[in-house]
Parts: sequence; C-alpha cells; structure tokens
Amino acid sequence: MKRLKLRDTTVGRSFLRSPDRATERDRAAGHWSNFLLHIYPVKVRRRELHFSFSWYLGVASAVLLASLVASGIYLMFFYLPSPSSAYGDMQTIQTQVAFGQFIRNVHRWSAHLMVLTVAAHMARVFYRGAYKAPREANWTIGVILLVLTLLLSFTGYLLPWDQLAFWAVTVGSSMADFVPFIGGSVREVLLGGDQVGSQTLLRFYVLHVVVLPVVLVGALAVHLWRWRKDSMFDQAAAEEGGEA
Amino acid sequence: MSDQDPRIADGKRVLGVVPGIPATGAQKDPSDQDLVMTSPHLLVRHAVAALAVLLVVLVLSILFDAPLREVANPFETPNPEKAPWYFAALQELLALFHPVVAGVLVPTAIIGGLLALPYIDRNPAIATKARKVAVAAFTIFMVTWIVLTLIGFAFRGPNWSWVWPWEEWHGEL
Repeated sequence: MKRLKLRDTTVGRSFLRSPDRATERDRAAGHWSNFLLHIYPVKVRRRELHFSFSWYLGVASAVLLASLVASGIYLMFFYLPSPSSAYGDMQTIQTQVAFGQFIRNVHRWSAHLMVLTVAAHMARVFYRGAYKAPREANWTIGVILLVLTLLLSFTGYLLPWDQLAFWAVTVGSSMADFVPFIGGSVREVLLGGDQVGSQTLLRFYVLHVVVLPVVLVGALAVHLWRWRKDSMFDQAAAEEGGEA
Repeated sequence: MSDQDPRIADGKRVLGVVPGIPATGAQKDPSDQDLVMTSPHLLVRHAVAALAVLLVVLVLSILFDAPLREVANPFETPNPEKAPWYFAALQELLALFHPVVAGVLVPTAIIGGLLALPYIDRNPAIATKARKVAVAAFTIFMVTWIVLTLIGFAFRGPNWSWVWPWEEWHGEL
C-alpha cells in the first residue's frame, strides 16, 4: 500500500512546492523551496561536516541567541524598567512566576555562554584562516556581531537593579569618561544623567529589548547570507597545496 | 516477484550482468573537498549541536541560580567594585596603566585591529606554517586577554588587591 504523504495532497503541494525526493536534484529543489532552509547552502564541502572544522561554535551561538530571545520575551511579561519596581519584579519572577527562576537562569547562562561561544567562534575562524579573501567583509560583520553581543550582555546586566548590576554598570560606563573631548557627553547620553539612575535603567532596557536585538538579528542575517554565498569557494584548492 | 524469478529485481527485468569493475573504479573514495547535500548531512549535525548546547544551558540553569544581591544603593559602594567578567581584562588594565591607555587606546586598538584584520593580513595562505607572524600575534593577544580576564575576575579582592581565589572568592557572574 502506498504511504500517504503530505506533499502529495493539494494542500501539501501548495505549501511545500517540492517534488518527491527521489533524486538529488529533487532534494535540491525541495531545499530551495523551503523557507527555513534557505539560509543554508544546498551543498557543503564534506570537510565542513567534521567537528574539528568549526567546533560548531557558530551554530551554538545562534542556538543561544534563540534561547535568549525565547527566555527574554517570557521575562518581559513580568518586568517594569523603573527603579521603584524593577527589583521587586525580579523577586516576584524568582518566587511567584511559574518557572520564573528557571527561565531567568536560562537567560543568564545563555548570555554568558553566548559571549564565550561568539569569542571562540572568532578564534576558530582566525586559526582556520577563514577570514581571508573573499570572506574579509564577513569577518568584519562578525566582529560587529561580537561587539553587539557584549553590548547586549552589558545592557542586560543592569536590569535586575541589584547592587551587582548597579555597580558593574557604574564601573563599566565610567570608562567612557577617559575618552578625550567627547567621553563625558557620550556617558551622559548613555546614562541619561551624570550617574546611573532611572533614565539609565529605561535607556538600557530599550537598548536591550529592542534596539540591539534588531540590529544584531539584521547583522546576523547578512552574516549568514554572506556565509552561504561564499560557501562554494574552496580556499584550500584556490591556494594550491595549502592545507585547511 | 523477484524471489520467484531472479531475472526480475525491484519489479524491473535484469537484461544482463557485466563482469569486471566499472571504468571509474570499484568504489568511490570520498574526499573532503567533495560536495554533500546540506540536508541531511549538515542539518543533523547542527541539530545534535543545538541539543548539546541546550542540554548545557538546562543543566547549568538547574544547578546554579542567577545571582540577585540587595537592591541597588547608590550610597553604598561594594568593595571590590567589579565590572562584568567580559570587561574584567579592561578593568585589570585600568589598574595597571593610565586610564587613557587602558580605557581608550587599548579597546580602540583591539576593536579596530579586529575589524581591519583581513585587510592588514593580506597573506593568502591558510596553513599555519605559512602564516607564523599572524598566528603568533593573535595567540599572544588571546592568551594575554584570557590571563588578564582571569586575574580581574578571580584574583582581585577589596581595593583591587591580589587575592587567591581558593582563599577569598570575589568573582561575580
């Protein structure tokens, strides 16, 4: 008896638009017509499959980003960025919200791990020489993504509004003071005053939940698009005799 | 069916069996440069990597609670006053050098240097042997940065004095 397949039905065909995957050509066509798969190249070099090639640090960073977005949205439901309520909201999240403490832990640990994996990804790409032509621009976008990751982590650090958050951000932002001429004003714009206060909390919150994530996801889209475009370029062959 | 008539395989008639090995060789030897389909070969690996990462997050989140100290108090400065761990190297530099050097020149040089790296290093070689200067420079930078981060994170106590982390713990995550 023939198995009933979703893509053989009228509805399935209209959504998936992919042929039955009998040949490699069909599978490539199915890949092209899949929205989620379009960020991937249809084919990759076999060597890219090995753990030692990338240590899967790029995909690990992307997974952590997804984990941060999911847990962050949950936390947003229970948090108001105001000095009078922020700390109380944190206590409520930890004691009364369903899975609140766990989701907060997930957000915190994912954030720390993402800083590590993004930095390690950069180091791995360096040692593999994968920043060389034609991939120079993508390395530069990657460095921007690293800076955005650090800024996201730093702006999020203030939100619990406890002693740890307050003084870590006070120390971190005081470094801006040493920048000649513009340092003082940069710091004032960032903090919304001459010290960390209610304006700072609101500004860091807006940066943390809207501005920086949107910029990061946009830059990440370009990063992955460039990766796909350059994926067919064979550095080892181009160099003739060089080893990856 | 095929088990009744050996000349019919998979519903099709076998016209002949040719002796010998194919002109292209008996077996294909897969090379690392060969192309393979992303789906499923790369996708299953990415799925496993994703599950492994989520497992690490899950275990850490179950074992260790995120810290929450007393409510922020602008009039009570903790000692030591520590930046987040990823800025610990900068904070350590700040204790060692003039603020303009540690707080402005070094971070600007690092970010600028990293951004411009592919345009500075125009050597097309990717084998480590053929790019000793670049690899050595990057490794020295990485090791220095990791050591400074560890010192700032775990080896500094009240008034930024030296402490042994197994005697006094002042690291904050």
